[in-house]
Amino acid sequence: MPGAGFFAGLANATVNASTVLILAGLGELISERAGVLNLGVEGMMLVGALTGFITTVITGNYWLGLGVAILAGGAMSLIHAFLCISLNSDQAVSGIMLTLLGTGLTTFFGNSYSGNSVSGFPERTLPIVGDLLVEIPILGPALFQSTVTDYAALLLVPVVWLFLYRTNIGLELISVGEDPETADTMGVDVFKMRYLAVIIGGALAGAAGAHLSLAFNQIWSASMTAGRGWIAVALVIFARWRPERILLGAYLFGLFNALQLYSQALDFSLGAGTPLAGVLNPVIDFVMNPTIMSTYPYLATLLVLVITVIRAENRELAQPSALVQSYSRETD
Amino acid sequence: MQVDVDLEARTEVPRWMAYGTPVFTVLAALSVSAVALAALDVDPIAAYEIMFVQTLTTEFGLTETIAKGVPLIFTGLAVYLPLKAQLWNIGAEGQLFIGAVAGTWIGLNVSLPIFALLPLMFVGAGVAGALWVAIPAWLRAKWGINEIITTLLFTFVAADLKNYVVRGPMQAPGANFPQTAQLPAAGQLPVIPGIGFPSGIVIAVVFVALTYLLVNHTRLGYEITFIGANDRAAEQAGMSTYRIYLFVLMVGGAFAGFAGISEISGVQTRLRAFFAPGYGFTAIPIALLGRNGAFRVLLAALFFAVIFVGGSSLQTLLSVPAAIVDIIQALIILFLITAEFFKRYRVSLSLERDPGAEPRGKRPEGEI
Repeated sequence: MPGAGFFAGLANATVNASTVLILAGLGELISERAGVLNLGVEGMMLVGALTGFITTVITGNYWLGLGVAILAGGAMSLIHAFLCISLNSDQAVSGIMLTLLGTGLTTFFGNSYSGNSVSGFPERTLPIVGDLLVEIPILGPALFQSTVTDYAALLLVPVVWLFLYRTNIGLELISVGEDPETADTMGVDVFKMRYLAVIIGGALAGAAGAHLSLAFNQIWSASMTAGRGWIAVALVIFARWRPERILLGAYLFGLFNALQLYSQALDFSLGAGTPLAGVLNPVIDFVMNPTIMSTYPYLATLLVLVITVIRAENRELAQPSALVQSYSRETD
Repeated sequence: MQVDVDLEARTEVPRWMAYGTPVFTVLAALSVSAVALAALDVDPIAAYEIMFVQTLTTEFGLTETIAKGVPLIFTGLAVYLPLKAQLWNIGAEGQLFIGAVAGTWIGLNVSLPIFALLPLMFVGAGVAGALWVAIPAWLRAKWGINEIITTLLFTFVAADLKNYVVRGPMQAPGANFPQTAQLPAAGQLPVIPGIGFPSGIVIAVVFVALTYLLVNHTRLGYEITFIGANDRAAEQAGMSTYRIYLFVLMVGGAFAGFAGISEISGVQTRLRAFFAPGYGFTAIPIALLGRNGAFRVLLAALFFAVIFVGGSSLQTLLSVPAAIVDIIQALIILFLITAEFFKRYRVSLSLERDPGAEPRGKRPEGEI
């Protein structure tokens, strides 16, 4: 049986892997709540990661790097917003274009920085109570010995929740994703709201990218997001479009990710004498295989999607009703 | 005074627009990419000369183009056919992986002469690709679950499964590399004697022709197009969207499976963990460029094949990162969907304020 050190390591790896997902997932959630699916998360994250990295290399200021990454992510999402909101383009196609563009641009222009490292956000304990919190067994170091971006991601969960459900802008944003016609009649500027939501989404994806290149890895390499942008898209579905469930989902997906690193230490194989060991051991080996484990976030998302739709016949899915629908005013 | 943008839905797309759009799109994408090239101190003219002229005028370039074109034609069809029914098969890449795995497994484990083994590998790959998309297809047809999201999720699962088999059950014995053993000679697509082109192109062209016949000259094809134009009216006319949705996605999956095995059997000769060509995603601009007909899919696929081949020549000759290919692809999609807007709407600007001028327009057909 693995010891406390193992669990502390696992908890730390889980928390580390989840920050990117929380940031990008919350951004995608805001965009989708306004009715705009953005499949360009991966591309926007990469652009954020590279621009943040280059800025930090040049100026030595990682805060400036983070700021530039947020702006760059927002700028990328503006392309998507213009195509989908103003030109009524197909959201899926535009999003995939954005991912291709982000991957292409960052690989192209990041080539000369490939493999360079940078000194980015250091891991810090919180002021005053931090030294005590770190002493909590297993979870203490994982949660309270982290970078500013880790703390910010955690803080953003309640902030986004409050923004969406307790502010007028947030409620208007949700109404635009549910029923743009009615929202328009009620005097909500559908186009402005959707632009706002998509740009916030892009900015958060940019921040997620900067967290990767300036805090998590502190290095630039092409395609370093390694599919995390797609997991963020899946996470929003898994969370059924609720910000508080993003946190839960991000930790769960983060845990799957962390388990892959530690799967060697986990040996659940049955002893040779156990009945059915011959049949069950290959199954256990398959299920615990690190490569197979990386499919779990996607399978879990599919399962959530299917169960909710089939059980509730779409009513309780909480998917924004006007998701992927473009809006234009009808003539009377 | 204020500028008013007035949008008027077009009832008919002007002829010059229908034909001019693909050309305009490609030229615009290449012009913007030239800026990226210039930013790296690469002469864009020299670069495009290598990319297009050298690729199309040398025997090596042409052969490579045909070889790259084969899987791109298949994945293009895999997206094109569902798109006719207004469904997006975003997961062609995953179906391609599964087709490659199934076809390679047959090639390595079944011992038959070439004229029997190759067809069996293709059938196996096609069936595997079709089955891989069956669940998303059923979820869409039966429950209306968005196929964009499900086919995409299945793609990531497929990528991991492929990585698993080349490191586990199908790994070449005695080797440390994450790859399968080499296909036997009977499992490798031969080249066409005399011209030296990969013979996969013949199969691909046959399927383009079959798809053309299916879509344009059969009752089934008529139903597919009808449902794509207006699914509610089609249901009222007694057509089964359930049946058609399953059909187009699963045939699309089979095409993507063909793409996978044609690439392994014709070019790679073994399945590697790093095999992730992105052909399934390039299929999206291909299907968009060719959405008006199967033969245009063929042309669009060959065009992208030229860019792929030209891109790797650029990398070898001028040390330009091959990612320029991704940039060009993305820009082509960008300009294509922008052009779609102008095809759908007539835009006129007027400087006088007209109180009656509400922005006009109708819901685009691409609603999901």
